[in-house]
Amino acid sequence: MIVAGLGGGEGVRIVLETEEAMLLSELADQVDSVLLLGEADDPALGRLLPNAYPDDHDAAHDYTRYTRDSLVDGKRQAAQRVRDATAVEEHGGVVQIELDQSEAWGWLTFLTDLRLILAERVGIVDEDEADADETRDDYLRAAYEWAGFVQGSMLEVLDPIKG
Amino acid sequence: MTLTLEQLDTDEALRAAVELPWRTVVWDDPVNLMTYVSYVFRSYFGLPRAEAERLMLLVHTEGRAIVATGNREAMERHAQAMHGYGLQATVERAEP
Repeated sequence: MIVAGLGGGEGVRIVLETEEAMLLSELADQVDSVLLLGEADDPALGRLLPNAYPDDHDAAHDYTRYTRDSLVDGKRQAAQRVRDATAVEEHGGVVQIELDQSEAWGWLTFLTDLRLILAERVGIVDEDEADADETRDDYLRAAYEWAGFVQGSMLEVLDPIKG
Repeated sequence: MTLTLEQLDTDEALRAAVELPWRTVVWDDPVNLMTYVSYVFRSYFGLPRAEAERLMLLVHTEGRAIVATGNREAMERHAQAMHGYGLQATVERAEP
């Protein structure tokens, strides 16, 4: 995986191995499914759609009623765009993706949602315990770390530390 | 003179209390990258880099930071935006 800047720092170019693209496409599809089909008591959904009023049941209910559809739509759209951009048919070679600033935001938020879901599934609840219990699910944990690496690399390009 | 000034201060305080009764709070979570949180604060709130990083570090070290104060509707809009970015945000009444 390589992330480079586009001219003028107004976007990013992401180069993925075909296998990486397939993995990302599959993960994006799963994020979309969680948003579409997730049970109300799925804790991962709780991470994606937090309670704005933990101490006020009625206000929380109203907030959810007014915001949920639009939040779910935005997150699903971001996931679907990543899924479609990374959909490849053949093995071998690389996939090059160019994103402008606004498309890049879609990827950043998708990668965040993906990591929130994976963290919930793997059980990352405390920073200090982030590397405990390593055998629990190596695949999900590797995907979590990798998504963080992709996001971090994108941020280095989109938001370089000056000086 | 002193009286007038004190009167002015009281009015200012009163107006602030009336106008700024709610706030949006962003909470620490073990998932989000510090660089991401800081970039969100800069991009969404239009903050200078130093201020965005100060708030991000506050979230990280204190567990939470007040990122906006104002009327309830505006604070819910900010919370919704933060949720869109995948940050944990709540709305609460400002303490008197």
